Amino acid sequence: MAEEHALAHPTPRQYAQIAILLAFLTAIEVSLYYLEQSIDAFTTSVSAPLLILLAVMKFVIVVGWFMHLRFEKSLVSKFFTTGFVAAIVLYVAVLFALGAIVLT
Amino acid sequence: MSDVAHADGHHDVHEGTGIDNRKLGMWVFLSSEFMFFGALISNYMLFKGRDYSAFMPTGQSVLLPRGLYDIPFTSVSSFVLLMSSLTMVLAHDALVSGDQNRTRVWLAATGMLGSVFIGGQVFEFTEFVQQGMTISSNPAASAFFMLTGFHGAHVFFGILMLLSLYGISKRQGGLTEVQGLNVELVGLYWHFVDIIWIVIFTIVYLIP
Repeated sequence: MAEEHALAHPTPRQYAQIAILLAFLTAIEVSLYYLEQSIDAFTTSVSAPLLILLAVMKFVIVVGWFMHLRFEKSLVSKFFTTGFVAAIVLYVAVLFALGAIVLT
Repeated sequence: MSDVAHADGHHDVHEGTGIDNRKLGMWVFLSSEFMFFGALISNYMLFKGRDYSAFMPTGQSVLLPRGLYDIPFTSVSSFVLLMSSLTMVLAHDALVSGDQNRTRVWLAATGMLGSVFIGGQVFEFTEFVQQGMTISSNPAASAFFMLTGFHGAHVFFGILMLLSLYGISKRQGGLTEVQGLNVELVGLYWHFVDIIWIVIFTIVYLIP
Protein backbone atom coordinates (compact mmCIF):
# COMPACT_ATOMS: atom_id res chain seq x y z
CA MET A 1 0.00 0.00 0.00
CA ALA A 2 2.89 2.32 0.73
CA GLU A 3 3.92 2.23 -2.91
CA GLU A 4 0.40 3.08 -4.02
CA HIS A 5 0.00 6.02 -1.66
CA ALA A 6 3.48 7.48 -1.98
CA LEU A 7 2.24 10.38 -4.15
CA ALA A 8 -0.71 12.63 -3.38
CA HIS A 9 -3.41 12.95 -6.03
CA PRO A 10 -3.71 16.40 -7.62
CA THR A 11 -6.26 18.88 -6.29
CA PRO A 12 -9.14 20.16 -8.50
CA ARG A 13 -7.11 23.34 -9.07
CA GLN A 14 -4.14 21.28 -10.26
CA TYR A 15 -6.43 19.23 -12.52
CA ALA A 16 -7.62 22.49 -14.09
CA GLN A 17 -4.01 23.60 -14.60
CA ILE A 18 -3.24 20.27 -16.29
CA ALA A 19 -6.26 20.75 -18.58
CA ILE A 20 -5.03 24.25 -19.51
CA LEU A 21 -1.63 22.76 -20.34
CA LEU A 22 -3.32 20.15 -22.54
CA ALA A 23 -5.31 22.85 -24.32
CA PHE A 24 -2.12 24.85 -24.84
CA LEU A 25 -0.32 21.83 -26.33
CA THR A 26 -3.30 21.26 -28.66
CA ALA A 27 -3.10 24.91 -29.77
CA ILE A 28 0.60 24.43 -30.59
CA GLU A 29 -0.26 21.29 -32.59
CA VAL A 30 -2.83 23.15 -34.68
CA SER A 31 -0.39 26.05 -35.17
CA LEU A 32 2.25 23.62 -36.43
CA TYR A 33 -0.27 22.26 -38.92
CA TYR A 34 -0.90 25.73 -40.34
CA LEU A 35 2.81 26.56 -40.36
CA GLU A 36 3.42 23.44 -42.41
CA GLN A 37 0.65 24.50 -44.79
CA SER A 38 1.88 28.06 -45.27
CA ILE A 39 5.68 28.01 -45.01
CA ASP A 40 7.60 26.07 -47.66
CA ALA A 41 10.69 25.57 -45.49
CA PHE A 42 8.54 24.07 -42.74
CA THR A 43 8.19 20.64 -44.34
CA THR A 44 6.44 17.52 -43.09
CA SER A 45 9.80 16.06 -42.07
CA VAL A 46 10.09 18.98 -39.62
CA SER A 47 6.48 19.22 -38.43
CA ALA A 48 5.70 15.49 -38.13
CA PRO A 49 8.28 14.71 -35.38
CA LEU A 50 7.16 17.83 -33.46
CA LEU A 51 3.50 16.83 -33.76
CA ILE A 52 4.28 13.29 -32.59
CA LEU A 53 6.29 14.69 -29.65
CA LEU A 54 3.36 16.92 -28.62
CA ALA A 55 0.92 14.01 -28.92
CA VAL A 56 3.20 11.86 -26.74
CA MET A 57 3.35 14.65 -24.14
CA LYS A 58 -0.47 14.92 -24.07
CA PHE A 59 -0.76 11.13 -23.92
CA VAL A 60 1.62 10.89 -20.94
CA ILE A 61 -0.10 13.74 -19.09
CA VAL A 62 -3.59 12.21 -19.46
CA VAL A 63 -2.43 8.68 -18.57
CA GLY A 64 -0.20 9.81 -15.70
CA TRP A 65 -2.39 12.41 -14.02
CA PHE A 66 -5.99 12.00 -15.19
CA MET A 67 -5.86 8.18 -15.23
CA HIS A 68 -3.66 8.28 -12.09
CA LEU A 69 -1.21 5.73 -13.50
CA ARG A 70 1.71 7.42 -11.75
CA PHE A 71 -0.09 6.90 -8.43
CA GLU A 72 -0.91 3.23 -9.09
CA LYS A 73 1.05 0.11 -8.23
CA SER A 74 3.78 -0.84 -10.67
CA LEU A 75 1.84 -3.96 -11.72
CA VAL A 76 -0.81 -1.76 -13.32
CA SER A 77 1.83 0.24 -15.18
CA LYS A 78 3.42 -2.97 -16.43
CA PHE A 79 0.13 -4.33 -17.79
CA PHE A 80 -0.79 -1.06 -19.46
CA THR A 81 2.66 -0.29 -20.85
CA THR A 82 3.10 -3.82 -22.18
CA GLY A 83 -0.07 -3.55 -24.27
CA PHE A 84 0.91 -0.13 -25.58
CA VAL A 85 4.51 -1.04 -26.45
CA ALA A 86 3.46 -4.36 -28.00
CA ALA A 87 0.93 -2.58 -30.23
CA ILE A 88 3.46 0.09 -31.28
CA VAL A 89 6.18 -2.48 -32.10
CA LEU A 90 3.78 -4.74 -33.98
CA TYR A 91 2.15 -2.07 -36.12
CA VAL A 92 5.30 -0.06 -36.83
CA ALA A 93 6.93 -3.30 -38.03
CA VAL A 94 3.89 -4.08 -40.20
CA LEU A 95 3.82 -0.56 -41.68
CA PHE A 96 7.57 -0.72 -42.42
CA ALA A 97 7.16 -4.09 -44.07
CA LEU A 98 4.28 -2.84 -46.23
CA GLY A 99 6.07 0.39 -47.15
CA ALA A 100 3.69 2.78 -45.39
CA ILE A 101 6.56 4.16 -43.29
CA VAL A 102 9.74 5.08 -45.15
CA LEU A 103 12.86 6.50 -43.54
CA THR A 104 14.23 9.38 -45.61
CA MET B 1 -20.68 9.24 2.57
CA SER B 2 -18.60 6.95 4.74
CA ASP B 3 -19.61 3.99 2.59
CA VAL B 4 -18.48 5.51 -0.70
CA ALA B 5 -14.74 5.69 -0.83
CA HIS B 6 -11.80 6.63 1.27
CA ALA B 7 -10.37 10.12 1.12
CA ASP B 8 -7.35 8.91 -0.83
CA GLY B 9 -9.55 7.58 -3.62
CA HIS B 10 -8.90 3.92 -3.01
CA HIS B 11 -10.95 1.11 -1.56
CA ASP B 12 -10.44 -1.66 0.95
CA VAL B 13 -11.39 -4.40 -1.50
CA HIS B 14 -8.10 -5.99 -2.52
CA GLU B 15 -7.27 -9.27 -4.13
CA GLY B 16 -4.06 -11.29 -4.39
CA THR B 17 -2.32 -8.55 -6.36
CA GLY B 18 -3.23 -5.83 -3.85
CA ILE B 19 -5.41 -4.22 -6.51
CA ASP B 20 -9.15 -4.68 -6.91
CA ASN B 21 -9.66 -7.30 -9.61
CA ARG B 22 -12.23 -5.17 -11.45
CA LYS B 23 -9.82 -2.26 -11.62
CA LEU B 24 -6.96 -4.47 -12.77
CA GLY B 25 -9.32 -6.03 -15.30
CA MET B 26 -10.18 -2.59 -16.67
CA TRP B 27 -6.50 -1.71 -17.06
CA VAL B 28 -5.84 -5.01 -18.88
CA PHE B 29 -8.88 -4.42 -21.11
CA LEU B 30 -7.68 -0.91 -21.98
CA SER B 31 -4.22 -2.29 -22.68
CA SER B 32 -5.75 -4.76 -25.15
CA GLU B 33 -7.63 -1.90 -26.80
CA PHE B 34 -4.29 -0.55 -28.02
CA MET B 35 -4.13 -3.57 -30.34
CA PHE B 36 -7.64 -2.87 -31.61
CA PHE B 37 -7.11 0.82 -32.36
CA GLY B 38 -3.53 0.16 -33.50
CA ALA B 39 -4.94 -2.08 -36.24
CA LEU B 40 -7.42 0.59 -37.35
CA ILE B 41 -4.82 3.38 -37.31
CA SER B 42 -2.33 1.23 -39.22
CA ASN B 43 -5.03 0.37 -41.73
CA TYR B 44 -5.64 4.08 -42.34
CA MET B 45 -1.92 4.86 -42.62
CA LEU B 46 -1.54 2.06 -45.14
CA PHE B 47 -4.23 3.35 -47.48
CA LYS B 48 -4.23 7.13 -47.01
CA GLY B 49 -1.42 8.02 -49.41
CA ARG B 50 -2.24 5.72 -52.30
CA ASP B 51 -3.39 6.74 -55.75
CA TYR B 52 -6.86 5.42 -56.57
CA SER B 53 -7.42 7.38 -59.79
CA ALA B 54 -6.94 4.27 -61.95
CA PHE B 55 -9.95 2.68 -60.27
CA MET B 56 -12.27 5.66 -60.83
CA PRO B 57 -14.69 6.05 -63.77
CA THR B 58 -13.41 8.46 -66.45
CA GLY B 59 -13.70 12.09 -65.44
CA GLN B 60 -14.49 11.32 -61.83
CA SER B 61 -11.99 12.53 -59.24
CA VAL B 62 -10.87 10.64 -56.15
CA LEU B 63 -12.23 12.07 -52.89
CA LEU B 64 -9.79 11.37 -50.07
CA PRO B 65 -10.41 12.21 -46.40
CA ARG B 66 -7.37 14.53 -46.34
CA GLY B 67 -8.88 16.82 -48.95
CA LEU B 68 -12.09 17.25 -46.94
CA TYR B 69 -10.86 17.81 -43.40
CA ASP B 70 -12.08 20.88 -41.56
CA ILE B 71 -9.14 21.34 -39.16
CA PRO B 72 -10.60 24.27 -37.15
CA PHE B 73 -13.79 22.30 -36.56
CA THR B 74 -11.95 19.10 -35.58
CA SER B 75 -9.61 21.13 -33.33
CA VAL B 76 -12.62 22.40 -31.39
CA SER B 77 -13.98 18.83 -31.14
CA SER B 78 -10.60 17.68 -29.80
CA PHE B 79 -10.62 20.48 -27.26
CA VAL B 80 -14.12 19.48 -26.13
CA LEU B 81 -13.06 15.86 -25.63
CA LEU B 82 -9.93 16.95 -23.73
CA MET B 83 -12.04 19.09 -21.41
CA SER B 84 -14.39 16.15 -20.84
CA SER B 85 -11.41 14.35 -19.32
CA LEU B 86 -11.11 17.25 -16.88
CA THR B 87 -14.79 17.05 -15.90
CA MET B 88 -14.49 13.26 -15.54
CA VAL B 89 -11.55 13.52 -13.16
CA LEU B 90 -13.40 16.24 -11.23
CA ALA B 91 -16.41 13.88 -10.89
CA HIS B 92 -14.14 11.25 -9.37
CA ASP B 93 -12.49 13.82 -7.12
CA ALA B 94 -15.91 15.05 -5.93
CA LEU B 95 -16.95 11.48 -5.12
CA VAL B 96 -13.76 10.88 -3.13
CA SER B 97 -14.51 14.13 -1.26
CA GLY B 98 -17.97 12.81 -0.46
CA ASP B 99 -19.83 15.46 -2.43
CA GLN B 100 -22.56 13.49 -4.23
CA ASN B 101 -24.21 16.54 -5.81
CA ARG B 102 -20.98 17.78 -7.34
CA THR B 103 -20.26 14.24 -8.56
CA ARG B 104 -23.55 14.22 -10.46
CA VAL B 105 -22.89 17.68 -11.93
CA TRP B 106 -19.48 16.64 -13.28
CA LEU B 107 -20.78 13.28 -14.54
CA ALA B 108 -23.53 15.13 -16.44
CA ALA B 109 -21.01 17.67 -17.76
CA THR B 110 -18.77 14.86 -19.01
CA GLY B 111 -21.69 13.20 -20.74
CA MET B 112 -22.71 16.49 -22.33
CA LEU B 113 -19.21 17.22 -23.62
CA GLY B 114 -19.05 13.68 -24.99
CA SER B 115 -22.38 14.27 -26.73
CA VAL B 116 -21.05 17.48 -28.28
CA PHE B 117 -18.06 15.52 -29.59
CA ILE B 118 -20.35 12.82 -31.05
CA GLY B 119 -22.55 15.54 -32.59
CA GLY B 120 -19.48 17.03 -34.23
CA GLN B 121 -18.50 13.65 -35.62
CA VAL B 122 -21.99 13.08 -37.03
CA PHE B 123 -21.83 16.54 -38.63
CA GLU B 124 -18.39 15.76 -40.11
CA PHE B 125 -19.53 12.40 -41.50
CA THR B 126 -22.64 14.02 -42.98
CA GLU B 127 -20.53 16.70 -44.65
CA PHE B 128 -18.20 14.11 -46.15
CA VAL B 129 -21.07 12.02 -47.51
CA GLN B 130 -22.75 15.12 -48.98
CA GLN B 131 -19.49 15.98 -50.73
CA GLY B 132 -19.41 12.49 -52.22
CA MET B 133 -17.05 10.55 -49.94
CA THR B 134 -18.75 7.49 -48.45
CA ILE B 135 -17.38 4.43 -46.66
CA SER B 136 -17.27 2.59 -50.00
CA SER B 137 -15.69 5.37 -52.09
CA ASN B 138 -12.12 4.08 -51.77
CA PRO B 139 -9.96 2.14 -49.26
CA ALA B 140 -8.68 5.38 -47.62
CA ALA B 141 -12.23 6.62 -47.01
CA SER B 142 -13.25 3.20 -45.75
CA ALA B 143 -10.29 3.11 -43.32
CA PHE B 144 -11.11 6.66 -42.14
CA PHE B 145 -14.77 5.92 -41.43
CA MET B 146 -13.88 2.63 -39.72
CA LEU B 147 -11.30 4.27 -37.44
CA THR B 148 -13.21 7.38 -36.45
CA GLY B 149 -16.52 5.50 -36.40
CA PHE B 150 -15.26 2.89 -33.95
CA HIS B 151 -13.79 5.65 -31.79
CA GLY B 152 -17.14 7.43 -31.85
CA ALA B 153 -18.86 4.17 -30.87
CA HIS B 154 -16.53 3.96 -27.87
CA VAL B 155 -17.43 7.54 -26.89
CA PHE B 156 -21.12 6.72 -27.28
CA PHE B 157 -20.76 3.66 -25.03
CA GLY B 158 -18.93 5.84 -22.50
CA ILE B 159 -21.82 8.33 -22.50
CA LEU B 160 -24.27 5.50 -21.79
CA MET B 161 -22.17 4.42 -18.79
CA LEU B 162 -21.97 8.01 -17.52
CA LEU B 163 -25.74 8.43 -17.84
CA SER B 164 -26.25 5.15 -15.99
CA LEU B 165 -24.07 6.33 -13.10
CA TYR B 166 -25.87 9.68 -13.07
CA GLY B 167 -29.28 7.96 -13.03
CA ILE B 168 -28.31 5.56 -10.24
CA SER B 169 -26.87 8.38 -8.16
CA LYS B 170 -29.96 10.56 -8.71
CA ARG B 171 -32.38 7.76 -7.82
CA GLN B 172 -30.50 6.57 -4.73
CA GLY B 173 -29.40 10.00 -3.57
CA GLY B 174 -25.75 9.00 -3.92
CA LEU B 175 -23.38 6.25 -4.96
CA THR B 176 -22.33 3.42 -2.66
CA GLU B 177 -18.72 2.27 -2.33
CA VAL B 178 -19.10 -0.37 -5.04
CA GLN B 179 -20.78 2.13 -7.37
CA GLY B 180 -18.05 4.61 -6.45
CA LEU B 181 -15.47 2.23 -7.87
CA ASN B 182 -17.58 2.12 -11.02
CA VAL B 183 -17.04 5.88 -11.39
CA GLU B 184 -13.31 5.24 -11.30
CA LEU B 185 -13.60 2.42 -13.88
CA VAL B 186 -15.78 4.50 -16.20
CA GLY B 187 -13.29 7.34 -15.73
CA LEU B 188 -10.41 5.10 -16.82
CA TYR B 189 -12.39 4.09 -19.90
CA TRP B 190 -13.27 7.71 -20.66
CA HIS B 191 -9.68 8.94 -20.38
CA PHE B 192 -8.56 6.06 -22.58
CA VAL B 193 -11.01 7.14 -25.28
CA ASP B 194 -9.48 10.61 -24.95
CA ILE B 195 -5.88 9.41 -25.39
CA ILE B 196 -6.89 7.40 -28.46
CA TRP B 197 -8.34 10.61 -29.92
CA ILE B 198 -5.07 12.44 -29.13
CA VAL B 199 -3.31 9.88 -31.36
CA ILE B 200 -6.00 9.95 -34.07
CA PHE B 201 -6.07 13.76 -34.19
CA THR B 202 -2.31 13.90 -34.72
CA ILE B 203 -1.79 10.98 -37.09
CA VAL B 204 -4.98 11.18 -39.13
CA TYR B 205 -5.75 14.91 -39.21
CA LEU B 206 -2.54 16.88 -38.63
CA ILE B 207 0.28 14.87 -40.22
CA PRO B 208 0.02 14.86 -44.03
